[in-house]
Amino acid sequence: MDPKLTEVSQLFERFKAALVRNDYDTCTKLLSQLKVLLTEFKSLPPLFEETPNAIHELTIARDIYEHAVVLSVKIEDQDAFERDFFQLKPYYTDAGGHLPQSPQEYPILGLNLLRLLVQNRIAEFHTELELLSATALENPCIKHAVELEQSFMEGAYNRVLSARQTVPHETYVYFMDLLAKTVRDEIAGCSEKAYDSLSIKDARQMLLYSSDQELSEYIKEEHPEWETKNGFVIFQRAKESAPCKEIPSLQLINQTLSYARELERIV
Amino acid sequence: MATMVSSAGGLLAMLNESHPLLKLHALSNLNALVDNFWPEISTSVPIIESLYEDEEFDQRQLAALLVSKVFYYLGELNDSLSYALGAGPLFDVSEDSDYVHTLLAKAIDEYANLKSKAAESSDEAAKVDPRLEAIVERMLDKCIMDGRYQQAIGMALECRRLDKLEEAITRSDNVHATLSYCINISHSFVNLREYRHEVLRLLVKVFQKLPSPDYLSICQCLMFLDEPESVASILEKLLRSESKDEALLAFQIAFDLVENEHQAFLLNVRDRLSKPKSQPSEAVQPVSAVPDTDQQGNATASEDAQMTDGSGNVHEADPIEATYAERLIKIKGILSGETSIQLTLQFLYSHNKSDLLILKTIKQSVEMRNSVCHSATIYANAVMHAGTTVDTFLRENLDWLSRATNWAKFSATAGLGVIHRGHLQQGRSLMAPYLPQSGAGSGGGSPYSEGGALYALGLIHANHGEGIKQFLRDSLRNANVEVIQHGACLGLGLAALGTADEDIYDDIKNVLYTDSAVAGEAAGISMGLLMVGTASEKAGEMLAYAHETQHEKIIRGLALGIALTVYGREEEADTLIEQMTRDQDPILRYGGMYALALAYSGTANNKAIRQLLHFAVSDVSDDVRRTAVLALGFVLYSEPEQTPRIVSLLSESYNPHVRYGAALAVGISCAGTGLSEAISLLEPLTSDVVDFVRQGALIAMAMVMVQISEASDSRVGAFRRQLEKIILDKHEDTMSKMGAILASGILDAGGRNVTIKLLSKTKHDKITAVVGLAVFSQFWYWYPLIYFISLSFSPTAFIGLNYDLKVPSFEFLSHAKPSLFEYPRPTTVPTTTSAVKLPTAVLSTSARAKARASKKEADQKATAEKSSGVESSPVTSHAGKGKLSGDKDGDSMQVDSPTEKKTEPEPSFEILTNPARVVPAQEKFIKFLEESRYVPVKLAPSGFVLLKDLRPSEPEVLSLTDAPSSNASNAGGSATTQQGSASSAMAVDEEPQPPQPFEYSA
Repeated sequence: MDPKLTEVSQLFERFKAALVRNDYDTCTKLLSQLKVLLTEFKSLPPLFEETPNAIHELTIARDIYEHAVVLSVKIEDQDAFERDFFQLKPYYTDAGGHLPQSPQEYPILGLNLLRLLVQNRIAEFHTELELLSATALENPCIKHAVELEQSFMEGAYNRVLSARQTVPHETYVYFMDLLAKTVRDEIAGCSEKAYDSLSIKDARQMLLYSSDQELSEYIKEEHPEWETKNGFVIFQRAKESAPCKEIPSLQLINQTLSYARELERIV
Repeated sequence: MATMVSSAGGLLAMLNESHPLLKLHALSNLNALVDNFWPEISTSVPIIESLYEDEEFDQRQLAALLVSKVFYYLGELNDSLSYALGAGPLFDVSEDSDYVHTLLAKAIDEYANLKSKAAESSDEAAKVDPRLEAIVERMLDKCIMDGRYQQAIGMALECRRLDKLEEAITRSDNVHATLSYCINISHSFVNLREYRHEVLRLLVKVFQKLPSPDYLSICQCLMFLDEPESVASILEKLLRSESKDEALLAFQIAFDLVENEHQAFLLNVRDRLSKPKSQPSEAVQPVSAVPDTDQQGNATASEDAQMTDGSGNVHEADPIEATYAERLIKIKGILSGETSIQLTLQFLYSHNKSDLLILKTIKQSVEMRNSVCHSATIYANAVMHAGTTVDTFLRENLDWLSRATNWAKFSATAGLGVIHRGHLQQGRSLMAPYLPQSGAGSGGGSPYSEGGALYALGLIHANHGEGIKQFLRDSLRNANVEVIQHGACLGLGLAALGTADEDIYDDIKNVLYTDSAVAGEAAGISMGLLMVGTASEKAGEMLAYAHETQHEKIIRGLALGIALTVYGREEEADTLIEQMTRDQDPILRYGGMYALALAYSGTANNKAIRQLLHFAVSDVSDDVRRTAVLALGFVLYSEPEQTPRIVSLLSESYNPHVRYGAALAVGISCAGTGLSEAISLLEPLTSDVVDFVRQGALIAMAMVMVQISEASDSRVGAFRRQLEKIILDKHEDTMSKMGAILASGILDAGGRNVTIKLLSKTKHDKITAVVGLAVFSQFWYWYPLIYFISLSFSPTAFIGLNYDLKVPSFEFLSHAKPSLFEYPRPTTVPTTTSAVKLPTAVLSTSARAKARASKKEADQKATAEKSSGVESSPVTSHAGKGKLSGDKDGDSMQVDSPTEKKTEPEPSFEILTNPARVVPAQEKFIKFLEESRYVPVKLAPSGFVLLKDLRPSEPEVLSLTDAPSSNASNAGGSATTQQGSASSAMAVDEEPQPPQPFEYSA
């Protein structure tokens, strides 16, 4: 076997071991080394050269990136997740025809969908969705994300929150927590626009908190501009936008005059 | 398994990795993929940019290259270029991709821009990015290495890298060809006068380094640089050489220089030629045809030379000096323009093919009392016979002519000047009967004919006024009638064109300050003529007076005069133009348009065009708008194909003045080209609803179609018929009728042997021609100025000359069907009479021939009767003679009679005999026969060409234009019809006999 490949495999074993130990620092370090090593292989994207070990190399590279994605979720690093996911993606889309399907594929795709949902990047969410095959859509991991998005769009926020209990994969928990926050931000944004004030009780219900305590903490952290007075939450309505702008009369006059002059000049 | 990546997302994500190796990997892969994935990458440009800006990162250049490519795909060439510069050596000039090509072009543009800006602001070019410079230099070197010299030259010129230009020229395989290419493009593409001079200076330097310098081109360049000393020294060197060929070359150079009509320069060159040192010089001096009026300053210099030389080598071979002296006389004759004028005159006289029937038809159909048409006919006659000295028509119609009174009389007299244009020797005696009598001042003649005669003298001596200047000055001083002053001013201006003579200027200024409208107008124009192209401060003086005076006429004259002073000065004139175009007075703005036209004449300068178009649509005065459009014609005459396109929209303007201007603009810039687009543009205008637009269009059409035969464009025939119809139509407006009459004159100008040409063969502006047309276009206000068009006529002839500057018989080939370039057929029978006399003789050729013959006879008789005692009409006798000689050599080629034409297929070539009419379109078909005795020094298809005699021992047969030369033994015998005295006089003069004066004053 190719010495480089062996080196990669060994490093990868150490990485996996560290991951199991939850030794994330070692993991990141090893991962970086692994990635550098991977750049040496010509068979990997974007070159896809046909080397004798191509299949093997592709498989191991895919494996490495899948673990990298999982790692990024564990260390709760969304940027790293995005980075790794994009590097992993060509292995699914472009090299998919030559490799046996990875068991991790759907969970990871689902995770990515969830991430987009959390980051409120709905357009990209749908783009990704369009790229998936019908069978993929049947997969529980994907389905979960799709359903979440539907509830989210309908405004059935309670369903979103309750879905946390039914996650198909343990890695999803992190994103579900984030999603709850996204949902609350959304609700808060709407309430702010819709009401001048709300009673604390209504507000708590509205924001799907179980206790007033959680509510006041949320207000303190996210919306310090809200006031809590006499059992009411008073929203500071955004300043009315400036009244209708002045009519740009001078400009209009100038324009009309220049039209007249141009008309004169038409030859 | 040909797997392709479907997205650059992965690589882009990798850019965010912290490890530099990963970034590098991503960058290099992205660089390879950028052609396909630039849309994806473009969203990540900020990241890559930040990589480039990161000083720590060692692959910054790669990042820069990548960003540059993305920007290129995004169409942001400026950003792309600046990043490409950042990429340093990674940006590969020799790569063959769209990206590299585009960026290189961009880089060169940018560099050229910076360089020209730096040159303009006269700052040091320190601001130019050295990296940019490096790229351009790399490119230039590569072009030179690859042997693509023309590209290298173009780039070097554009970028103002004269060092590289020189390198490219000297390293090219064919230096001569490259040099001539270079001269060509420096005239057509270098817009800045200063810079063009620099380039030309460099070219001259390169030329002189060559082992066998091309003196013809050098002298052309030197003329542009206005360096008479160098030209004179070259000429002298050639003249002093032993070989006859070199002397021939010197003559050829002189002829070529003369063609550019730069009088002041030519005089300068002539005066700088040192005098021969031995005895012959004394003997020669008085013979020298030109009276040396202003040679004072030079005489001392040449004396000095004489002294030093004389002391040095006493026993210098006399024969050498003698030949030099002999050659010197010849070259002085050429440089003063006399030789060419004389030869031209002979040619025009002998080949005159003007059709008197046309004039007769016009005369008969024009209403007697309509003075406009009456004088238009006189104008047409003058233009038709310009330079031919044939005034038969006037002689035959003295009665009719006497109807011209006042100003019409003025122009009738002046018309003689046009007819006798170039008749330098006898001009004065010809005009003598009309000239103001010395002393008395108010002799018998009317002031109108006296003024006209002075104007005529100016026309005869236009641009060659050495001999007549003094006389005109005296006449001007003695004149106290404004009409005579008017004529004298115009005449003096013409004769002293461009000489910038201070004394004359003062004389004219005195006339101007009398503040008389008629004389002042002429004085204004005359000052301009005198100062053409000098850009002297006199313009300020004139402008000041224009503001002072109340007379519109004077202001107009001055406005044109001021415009003339800045002729050809390009940017130098900008302040003056600015001043004039912003003036309150529309007449001065109108002058400003002319200033723009003349300062940028023939440059096709974009700035000037833009300004003119702006005025053409925005000025409040119709006059200014009309002139602005018209001025476009002048700016664009070097690229006639452009004009119809540019003015096509204007020609559909609602404003008739703009339409008129558009017509004339096309007429001016496409004059003599017969350009199809031009004709198509003018055609609808000739039937415009407004009378003066029709007039302008007819004149313009005639200018475009001059010398175009019906065979090459059928619309010429249609146009001739249209003219005839307009002239015969009783209900036509006077304006358009006048246009039609003038147009028929212009169409057959100069006995059908001249064309209107604003550029010489070497692509220089012909100053006289341009000035002539500019003043001609003033006829809108003042009809006598129509005669200025004669200045723009240049004969379309091939005239071969031997060493003695005689015309030897020499044959050459025109490789085209004769019918393409033949003279238009003479009109057969005036339509008015044909309806009565010959109702049946419609299409029978024999009948036509018969009619023609009988007509000719009748003509002959008529002339003989009318001018009894005077010489009989030379036209008819020579027409006959021309035919004879045609039959003699053309048994196979010349298909003369119309009956033969039917049966025989037309030959595909034609043998022409020296001197021959060669119209511009024909030039490309001219070939010289190989076994011929003479070889041209320069392979020019027309103009004056010196011929090298390969068999000098054999006796030469001189084919004569018409008048037999002294050594060809009274061959004038052939012209037996002429009176003995006349023919002998001609034999002596080598000139057509001056016609007897005639009086027509009623």
